[in-house]
Amino acid sequence: MFGLDYSWLADPAYQHWLLIGVLNTLELAAIASCAAMLIGLLGALGLTLRIFWLEALIELFVEVFRNTPPLLQMLFAYFTLSTLGLRTTDPVTGMQVPLLSAMSCAAISLSLFGGALAIEAFRSGIETMPRAIVEAARSLGYSRWGRFWRVEAPIALRICLPGLTNILTNLFKTTSQASVITVPELMYYAGQIYNDTFRTLEVMLMVLLIYVTLASIITFALSRLERLMAFPGYGKGN
Amino acid sequence: MANIKVMAASVFALGLTLLAGTASAGTLEDVKARGELIVGVKNDYAPYGFLNEKGEIVGFEVDLAKYVAKELLGSEDKIELVPVVASNRIEFLTAGRIDAIFATLGVTPERAKVVDFSTYYISAAGASVLAPNASKLAKWEDLKGQTVCGIQGSYYNKKLTEEFGATLVAFKAQPEAFRALKDNRCVGFAFDDMTLQKKLEEADWSDYKIAIKPYEYIPQAAGLRQGDDAFRKAVDAAINKAEGEGKLIEWETKYGMPHSEYIADRAKAAAKK
Repeated sequence: MFGLDYSWLADPAYQHWLLIGVLNTLELAAIASCAAMLIGLLGALGLTLRIFWLEALIELFVEVFRNTPPLLQMLFAYFTLSTLGLRTTDPVTGMQVPLLSAMSCAAISLSLFGGALAIEAFRSGIETMPRAIVEAARSLGYSRWGRFWRVEAPIALRICLPGLTNILTNLFKTTSQASVITVPELMYYAGQIYNDTFRTLEVMLMVLLIYVTLASIITFALSRLERLMAFPGYGKGN
Repeated sequence: MANIKVMAASVFALGLTLLAGTASAGTLEDVKARGELIVGVKNDYAPYGFLNEKGEIVGFEVDLAKYVAKELLGSEDKIELVPVVASNRIEFLTAGRIDAIFATLGVTPERAKVVDFSTYYISAAGASVLAPNASKLAKWEDLKGQTVCGIQGSYYNKKLTEEFGATLVAFKAQPEAFRALKDNRCVGFAFDDMTLQKKLEEADWSDYKIAIKPYEYIPQAAGLRQGDDAFRKAVDAAINKAEGEGKLIEWETKYGMPHSEYIADRAKAAAKK
């Protein structure tokens, strides 16, 4: 149809590459998403403590990692950190080699980038919480920690879930930039395949379809989660 | 019902767009009418196409392309040089954004399926491997299980991983790959022999050597749109004329390339005609 030629898909090498590419994309996205959520929670928790220097530190972290392109962060982590001395000695060859692999560099920078966005999302969740609820919890005698964990966090999570869905899908798509620092994910292999076969359109369509499918699964799962977690007044549904 | 019509129309339009790439013909007339030859060249690939101190694109293939422009249009200035890279040059050509590729295009059967080649004007060494002087690598089979730097889209990448069993870390462009080699992210950098040879001339690369020699030599030619015979013949005639006048040998000297037998033989053959 339309003169599309998918005969290259019959090549076992390309099948293998696509499979490895998808697996690496998923691995990178999974690591970065979990770490970003953790950073987001810890950061937002830190902000509620109202400690001056901690607040300043978290603000600085958010500004730096939210306002720089993840691509730049990855390149920085990959090329600059090892030059700055983040090296180790290879036990086999005795040579000085960079400590962080391409995958680690990508995972770390995506985690920090996603984490910075997640802190903001969680914070907005906490800040939009009605004061009355916080005061009610306080008057019931909850400790600072108990209030955060049992009252603020559950409500904040439900308020910011739609925002988190955006962040996670974005993070998933941003993994494609890791191909620049040689992480063999889906885009990395796609580029090599269309360079070998010149079937740019066909490869791009295929990759597009894979990304749409995987991202849709993520958004679907998160919207189900939103529905499941909803309670009266907060979250999707009833 | 109306919806079906709209859908059919858009499907038809999409089909036309997809066909358009192959349907255009008569580049020679287009070029003459335009008064300018648009050529895809390298600008990061000494000696074939690179930037000089003034920031102008110069090089062996750039001179050749200018010569072709002179033959077709009467002046070597009637040319637009479009910098291309390995991964987009064929797209640029088939999409009609350039008239010809003069950008280190090796002749391979896969490429012949999508472009036509002009007469072959260079026989270029394929890939070799650059590695530190201390490296024990000597033949391609030694790369099995080793991490090797490369460039995304190189045609020998598949051979490196699937046949020689190397673990390839492929970068978008050369500076990153050279940096990675210096950082010891890989045991060697597998790339076009000519580029690696040139790199070795630089002072800070004296600790490195060509550890593994090329496993093949392939002819290099201009890439042209398929079935565009009139244009191809005109380009071939221009290249042959340049060969006959010994221009390619001059350019080899001008750009510090080793004089190759291939070019000398072709010059002799062209001069006889």
